[in-house]
Amino acid sequence: MEQLSGTFSYEETAYHLPVTYALTGTAVHSADEARAAFRATGESALVAAECLTAATEAAGKGAPPPYTGFLPDAVLRTLGYSLVDGSILGLAVVAGTPQSPDAAAALCRELQEKYMLTFLSGGIVDSLTGAGVKVGPELRLVPLGDRPSSAIHFIDIIARVAMMFGGVAPGDADRLLSYAQERAKAIAIVFPGLGDDETAMFDAFRLLGIPILSAGEYEGNEWIRVSVSEAVRTGMDLKGIKVSVTAIPIPMACSPAFEGKSIRKEEMFVEFGGGRSPAFELLRCRPVSEVEDGRIRVIGPEIGELKAGSAVPLGIIVEVAGKAMKKEYEPVLERRIHNFVNYGEGTWHVAQRDIIWVRISKDAVSHGVRIEHLGKLIAAKFRMDFPDLLDAVQVTLITDEQEVLAAKKEAERVYEERDERIRGMKDTDVDTYYSCTLCQTFAPNHVCIITPERPALCGAITWLDGKIAYEISPSGANQPVPKGRVIDAERGEFEGVNRFVKKASHGEVARCSLYSVMEYPMTCCGCFECIAVMLPEVNGFMVVNREYKGDTPSGMSFSTLAGTIGGGAQTPGFAGISKTFILSNRFLQAEGGIGRLVWMPAMLKEELGERLVRKLTERGLPGMFDKIADEKIAVTIEDLTAFLARIEHPALAMKPLL
Amino acid sequence: MALKALDIYKLLPKKNCKECGEPTCLTFAMKLASGKVKPEDCPYLDENVREILGASTRPPVQRVKLGVGERSFAVGDEIVQFRHEKTFFHEPGIMTAVSDLMDPDSIQAVVADVRDHLLVRIGLDLRLNGIAVWSASGSPDAFATAVEAVEAVAELPEVLMAEDPAVQEAGLAVCGNYRPLIHAATGDQYREMCALAVKHGCPLAIRAPDLDALAGLSGLCTAEGVSHLVLDLTSPSLHDMLNQATAVRQQAITRTAPALGYPVFLDTRPCGLPDAALICGVLKYGSVLVADPLSEASRKALLVLRQNIYTDPQKPIQITPGIYRVGSPGPDAPVLLTVNFSLTYFTLQGYLEASGTDSFMLIVDTEGLSVLTSVAAGKLSETLVRDSLKEFAVPDLVKHRTLIIPGYAAPLSGKIEDETGWKVLVGPRDAADIAEFLEKEWT
Amino acid sequence: MTISTLSDWTGEVGTVTIGATKADGGTRSGTVTIGGERDLAFIGNPPTGNRPLIAYELCDDPSLWPAPVIRFLGDRASDPAEWARFAAGEYRPDLIRLYLTSTRKRGFSAFAAITTTVENILQATGLPLIIEGSNDPELDSEVFRRIGEAGEGERLLIGTAEAGRYRSIAASAMAFGHLVIAQSPIDINLAKQLNILLREIGLPHDRIVIDPYTGALGYGFEYSYSVMERIRTAALKGDDDLAMPMISSAIDSLTVKEVREADPSASDRTSVAWELYAMLPATVAGASIVCVRHPSTIQPLKAAIEALWSPPGGGA
Repeated sequence: MEQLSGTFSYEETAYHLPVTYALTGTAVHSADEARAAFRATGESALVAAECLTAATEAAGKGAPPPYTGFLPDAVLRTLGYSLVDGSILGLAVVAGTPQSPDAAAALCRELQEKYMLTFLSGGIVDSLTGAGVKVGPELRLVPLGDRPSSAIHFIDIIARVAMMFGGVAPGDADRLLSYAQERAKAIAIVFPGLGDDETAMFDAFRLLGIPILSAGEYEGNEWIRVSVSEAVRTGMDLKGIKVSVTAIPIPMACSPAFEGKSIRKEEMFVEFGGGRSPAFELLRCRPVSEVEDGRIRVIGPEIGELKAGSAVPLGIIVEVAGKAMKKEYEPVLERRIHNFVNYGEGTWHVAQRDIIWVRISKDAVSHGVRIEHLGKLIAAKFRMDFPDLLDAVQVTLITDEQEVLAAKKEAERVYEERDERIRGMKDTDVDTYYSCTLCQTFAPNHVCIITPERPALCGAITWLDGKIAYEISPSGANQPVPKGRVIDAERGEFEGVNRFVKKASHGEVARCSLYSVMEYPMTCCGCFECIAVMLPEVNGFMVVNREYKGDTPSGMSFSTLAGTIGGGAQTPGFAGISKTFILSNRFLQAEGGIGRLVWMPAMLKEELGERLVRKLTERGLPGMFDKIADEKIAVTIEDLTAFLARIEHPALAMKPLL
Repeated sequence: MALKALDIYKLLPKKNCKECGEPTCLTFAMKLASGKVKPEDCPYLDENVREILGASTRPPVQRVKLGVGERSFAVGDEIVQFRHEKTFFHEPGIMTAVSDLMDPDSIQAVVADVRDHLLVRIGLDLRLNGIAVWSASGSPDAFATAVEAVEAVAELPEVLMAEDPAVQEAGLAVCGNYRPLIHAATGDQYREMCALAVKHGCPLAIRAPDLDALAGLSGLCTAEGVSHLVLDLTSPSLHDMLNQATAVRQQAITRTAPALGYPVFLDTRPCGLPDAALICGVLKYGSVLVADPLSEASRKALLVLRQNIYTDPQKPIQITPGIYRVGSPGPDAPVLLTVNFSLTYFTLQGYLEASGTDSFMLIVDTEGLSVLTSVAAGKLSETLVRDSLKEFAVPDLVKHRTLIIPGYAAPLSGKIEDETGWKVLVGPRDAADIAEFLEKEWT
Repeated sequence: MTISTLSDWTGEVGTVTIGATKADGGTRSGTVTIGGERDLAFIGNPPTGNRPLIAYELCDDPSLWPAPVIRFLGDRASDPAEWARFAAGEYRPDLIRLYLTSTRKRGFSAFAAITTTVENILQATGLPLIIEGSNDPELDSEVFRRIGEAGEGERLLIGTAEAGRYRSIAASAMAFGHLVIAQSPIDINLAKQLNILLREIGLPHDRIVIDPYTGALGYGFEYSYSVMERIRTAALKGDDDLAMPMISSAIDSLTVKEVREADPSASDRTSVAWELYAMLPATVAGASIVCVRHPSTIQPLKAAIEALWSPPGGGA
């Protein structure tokens, strides 16, 4: 810095010496100003490198073309455009002189393939040219200069992007650093051949959150030692830069349009499961080190070794890894296997877990589809649909009977464990519920609150679904609802829930009790599977499901009831509920529980069947199943009253509802 | 705040006597809460309870009926400020103005036109509603002659616009039995006008310089025994009309100023922008709109706007299920299936027409649900498709057996094939892509 | 007691300024500012915020434009710059909205023409501009970069971002200093979601104009009308993610059956009616920019807005 003299500046920029300007807010155009800035930044290696480079280039001593040197603002704008636009995923700088030009060439090709815009500084440029790699901005390989120190331009680019796009004010060094750390998707890869000053400069890159991947022999600092072939993947993983999958390399079309396409027996080449052979599917979350993205293994015979028209054992094991992935998401993701397999034009899938039934069509097999492609399809679709959640997916397909049976045993243990966990999950185990406002399109003020023990009233979304939907799409229709202080434990009224409902209902609904139908019940959209209705005459509740078209003891049919209570209104005495909520301990909690249940359509009773019997027994009401009337027993309130009195229904003896 | 069903139930006799026509008291309470029955329908309510229920279940905007017979219409009975909060119930009557300075032939030509004009959309008849007879001359005889000319042509609801009680009386002498709207009582002559309204059993429009005076006048008129009032908010300023109509609706539904709980009358002529004034009247709370005869373009647009705004937002308009033709499809033309939600139908129809491909649209009855919703709710099913193909004799229309279904119905494709024996092509999710789809897939 | 409307809103719609004059680094002869409402336009007292504006829509490939307009304009429609000059000069809209319909033809690749077209329009009129690019993800990146570059410094309003397709448009706005139209399919929650997505990639709320999508009169207009009322009241109730001004264009107005099949002698009048009867209601529902394609709609729409937004005796 001491040798610096005279005046100097970059051309075609509004940001002076951008790194210095961003850090200090001062416009440096002379040696004295440069030294002042250097001192003001505590002798920053970045400022030093920038001032020296600027002075050199201004004096016309920069490297000649094809080296670009400093890039003007106009180029930066286009570059920033591509970053926001997503046509480039991130920035890399490669500096120094590689020992193996071929390895360096492979590295740069990998960067190109992964949509990284790469800047080159130092001997690397000659190495690449020598290895036959063309460089140039249009090839996403920008040669900055013939010395590693020219990599300072990489930082002036990041500084300008921060000021242009990130709203970072010149001189606000803290914001610059946090912007660079959080938003700049940038990595640096260094080969040998750096001088001491240059080493100090690269070391300062780390302040901006740029990982320095060392493929050289640098000791004694925080750089990450990697082999050349690992450098790109490691760097991108560290900054969370992900390449999105757009095409699935299998000889079969794949689209939601094929979802409903069935494969008939005569069209089928081979089938798995469906009671004809053992089969199962399982999705597990694994540590990142144990999952190799895109790896597909087939254990057992491939399609060519199978007899046409036969039933073959199958195990589908999907192993996923991702920083945000959690064990509890497993069942939700596992259910997607069904959709994904059905998306294939020649593959078909029904049911789940160890009762799956899968077919592959003759047509698909004649186009070259093999068992392996099932795995490719599944892995690719998971990566496409859950880009933020999953970093790696590998699939194992087992067709060997003994192996399937062994793995199935393990899978069954996992299913049981999961069931236990879900069954055991109580509203009191969590402090956050989830909302659903999907129905506000037609019911403007409706807010569904979903808890572990109370699924959405449409029956389609459980607490886990809501949670995962939120984590996958944080601005979507499912939002976390901190339940906050308990206002009334019996009715299930919470301060946090009320606050959320008030806001999400646009101020229309101020209170919401999750476990009561009588006081501040949840609003109803129109999608509820069932309606619970208080019957004052018998001191109990009836439940009617959507499929039941007839009259009910309330005097109203399902559709009449639905028309009156739907649309986002809160109607005490009436509640839209899901079928499974009937089996929840929270059902009618404030009113005294399931003992209040006096009437249900026969088809609903049948559907809940054993599960309802078990629940009633568990709640100390053995034998009550037969005391719940249906339309064969009573469709008027008078008949119902008579029936309930005759069989001494427990509701009659409970506390009066009104 | 309106009472909830349960609160109402608590006040009922709980006898389940069925004398009101409902099976249970609970049903009666539900209906009362939504204004579908009246407290008087229950024979066992004591006076006090009836009053409580009446005050809180009566629609905050008084229902007022104009005219008699087939073309008569009711306005009022509204309960919300924004249509998305529930719906607007009674669309405004559009009254075409004639003056007593016109010769009877010209009047009759206007009246005949209003009588006969008809626009049919989505299976509904859209019409202009009636005639406003305007006393421009000030002469009772001329007014009576003009009213006679109207009466001679059609039994349409009328507004008699004459503030001189003598002139008004002359008009009423001609058509007083047919429930015209008397326009308008003011602070000066409201007693005479009220007497006329009582005598003929007619609704009465009232007019005052500002809303406070109007509320006062409304009180005076009800005291005179006229309860079917209409508030005239006409102004030369469009801004004022919109503001005041909004204020009146808001005061009425919040029951802050019950004296303003009546339908609104707007004469669109003084502001000089007839289209704009009619638009605002339809959007913001006009119930009786007076306008000069309109161009065909304007009145079509006006009738359609009124239909749009008064559509129940929670109950989409449905298309009658059946086969609809785009262009002149022959036996080789594609058959595209979709649901009977009107917006879906119109969107697909528009893109099909633009594509230039002659085709059949098979509209099935999903009770007005969209494709996505009807698939999710199980309303769109393979059996419905099978039955609809049969019901609308589609196999007789085309030689092929290929059905194009909406992209969002893809999960049903296999089931539809099994159930109908037709080959199913899954179309795009977005109707905008239909032209490209047909070009690629339908050759 | 004086009876007037009750309003207890707590929120406020943000303002957005479109266009840049020489002083701001552009070449527009003036700028326009929309938004700023603290109340519904027609509730009590003088209107708050800025009065609604009219954008006149034209395109660079008239083969994809409604026939009544092309009939009315004749040859003028074949050159977008001439078209813009004529419409701006004769009919005085507040803004010009150019649709690059050429990009919607199959196999489009004439990217250089986009730059030229945008530059020509900028020269032809001094009004602030709205530019609508491609709606094909394959083309978006190049098309919106071109638009952004060609209009750098002009503070264009660029459309149309959708939930699955917003990055290129946002990038163009961020790189070249423009504004973005964010469209969602008649759904208040999706509108909100898109605004959040845009914010997350770095586009601040004050550079977004909401397009809730507008169905033509008789073809779903009622849904749009109500969703605009809902978005506006949500903003006034304090929802910051919806507190942007709205733009409404019933783009199918002139291709609906009623207009298409109108008697030739009534074609213009029917076109005007169908646009006026959708766009004036849109302003009442809260739209800050309403758009028309038939030049003759501009005058009656302008007069109506003028009358609606002017309290008698002057005022704001």
